[in-house]
Amino acid sequence: MEQLINDLKQQIKEALNLEELSLEDFDADAPLFGEDGIGLDSIDVLEIIVLLEKRYGIRLESPKEGKAIFRSVRTIAEYVQANSKKN
Amino acid sequence: MSIAVTGLGIVCAIGGDVQSVLRSLREGRTGIGPMRHLRSVHKELPVGEVKLSDEEMKRQLGQDEQAVISRTALMGAIAIRQALQDAGLDLEGKRVVIINGTTVGGMDVTERVFERNGTPGMTEALNGHSCGSVTHEMADLAGLHEAEVCTVSTACSSALNAIILGAEMLRRGEADIVIAGGTEALSKFHLNGFNSLMILDKEPCRPFDKTRAGLNLGEGAAFLVMKLTPLKGAGGSWSAYILGYGNRCDAFHQTASSADGEGAFLAMSDALRTAGLRPEDIDYINAHGTGTPNNDTSESAAIRRIFGDSIPPVSSTKGFTGHATSASGAIETVVSILALRHGFVPTNLGWRDGDEACITPYCRPNTTDSRSENHNPNHKDGPIATALCNSFGFGGNDSALIVSTKPAPFAPIPEEEGYESCVLAEETIDDVEQLGALRQYISAGEARRMSRLMKAACVSSMKALRAAGIECPDAIITATAWGMFETSEKLLRDMLQNGEEALSPTLFMQCTHNTIGSAIAIRLRCHGYNMTYSQGADSLLWAMRDARRLIETGRARTVLVGCHDEATPLLQDFLRRMGRPVPPEIYSHSIVLGRQQCIQTHQAPSPLPLWGSASVPLNEEATAMKHSPKGERGGGCSF
Repeated sequence: MEQLINDLKQQIKEALNLEELSLEDFDADAPLFGEDGIGLDSIDVLEIIVLLEKRYGIRLESPKEGKAIFRSVRTIAEYVQANSKKN
Repeated sequence: MSIAVTGLGIVCAIGGDVQSVLRSLREGRTGIGPMRHLRSVHKELPVGEVKLSDEEMKRQLGQDEQAVISRTALMGAIAIRQALQDAGLDLEGKRVVIINGTTVGGMDVTERVFERNGTPGMTEALNGHSCGSVTHEMADLAGLHEAEVCTVSTACSSALNAIILGAEMLRRGEADIVIAGGTEALSKFHLNGFNSLMILDKEPCRPFDKTRAGLNLGEGAAFLVMKLTPLKGAGGSWSAYILGYGNRCDAFHQTASSADGEGAFLAMSDALRTAGLRPEDIDYINAHGTGTPNNDTSESAAIRRIFGDSIPPVSSTKGFTGHATSASGAIETVVSILALRHGFVPTNLGWRDGDEACITPYCRPNTTDSRSENHNPNHKDGPIATALCNSFGFGGNDSALIVSTKPAPFAPIPEEEGYESCVLAEETIDDVEQLGALRQYISAGEARRMSRLMKAACVSSMKALRAAGIECPDAIITATAWGMFETSEKLLRDMLQNGEEALSPTLFMQCTHNTIGSAIAIRLRCHGYNMTYSQGADSLLWAMRDARRLIETGRARTVLVGCHDEATPLLQDFLRRMGRPVPPEIYSHSIVLGRQQCIQTHQAPSPLPLWGSASVPLNEEATAMKHSPKGERGGGCSF
């Protein structure tokens, strides 16, 4: 699980071009959206959906169904672990 | 004087001419269905295709079936021919201007060549790729070899902004006859782009419905022949009159509309104000109404802010035509004019269940589910004379137009005497090294999605504004010959390598030409006039002309004009083969025009290099514009 979380952090940082966010400061439980957390937005959700499809073969049909999944890196990791078709 | 629309031409999913479109509208017959012409794997997505094949259209236009002509140009040429025939004008000796709204341009041809992975073929494809070259091709196909040619590219509001520009030029006496509208063919490129944004519905779209889940893409072209006509003796055979218009920017987000619909509200307010009308004078609203949850809520909020509890019948006709993107504004203007002339309100196909966050659209009984019969708000049985047509685009480029069958004098432009434009500041970025300055102006978070050209445009704009001592200009006008070429090329290559799945929404949202102007507006929260020209080497001339029009008529005190282009190795290689000047990787020149603190009027900015959107040094601009609209045609249509 920790390995998956670290991989996801790295992939999200790259996909969203979060240059100034160091992996050490990237808290797995920090909210991804909103000003209290990482501060991502709706386009980032779409990019993470693309990432999940490319890397883990997981397909989401709409950003809406992803609300709970995209709360934090940990919730994404849990979802990936439960649904991954690749790896 | 009033601005008369004397001819109409239209090709779209519900018909190949005015009569068949009218019939479909009255019978409530949709043109949205399974994909037949577009060669995409996404057969699950319904589309509003024009029913003619490319070959059929080439035959109609008397062209060789093997000729390489983009579908965008074919549809546009057919619609222009129809409009001219309808108007029945003698163009001899007249100053004729064609203003075309398009964004996808020749992408259908470009992507086919990309698919064959044939770099040698790219020369042929890129020759007809740019928006400006498509407009030239259309003009030639329609037999208008002498006309002045202009292309407006503000994403989905392009065609409406083309009509608005046409009206402005007529009012200022810059043209005798304007042929304005827009054209856009479906392409795999933007179908997949919209799909990456997850805003395409697999079911037929349902604008303003509670269950709406996105839009269906459509395609088509529509053009209006417009001319000034004395009020006395007007009427009779004229189709309609343009009474007012507004062009504003939501300045909120690249792909989403603000919750209160500020840009839409301002555009509609300007349209009413310039027409000298009150909200209660509007008999029908043809909404932008795409069917996405976000657009319809935002547009409803804006309509409610203006019309309160007395909202006239509103319908989105995208349930008929699909969303024909850049052409939609012209298609829906023609639809609105047909509705007025024939005294009916087009039904809002697909609507069943009300949504508290949305206006209740007009649904004609018998054309949709019987449940809708009880939901006909403010249904007017009497004649309808005046319609408001909304058209919004990515980046919050929101425009509105008021058309009427009643001739009315156009409220005169409040000409404030004595204003002349002057250059307050200008800045150039033409080296990637200079992009380091970006962080002085914006945060890493803001910069993380920007392509190089966006960064260059941002730096040159912010530097020029700072030098001019201006925080936010009244208007932002952009010129670009090739638009966001690098991101577009990346997306094409991605589609080639990985197929039509899992494409990057971040790339697509930066592919429209108006990305630059709207990003700057978002950064500055500038809700003023926002326009983008893409007419090859003439782009900057059109932008400067527009800026001066705004300043000289007192409608803007300051205007930020930018000319931005980039060249990837592919584009550089193409230009080299064509023997044209090869531009640097990025080129961004921003000019702040003002009307005060003018040290020296008519001060010309420094001469610009001979490429991209600015091939003519600005001090030669006046001469070029006055005497030789055709002079630039040969070498100048794209680089």
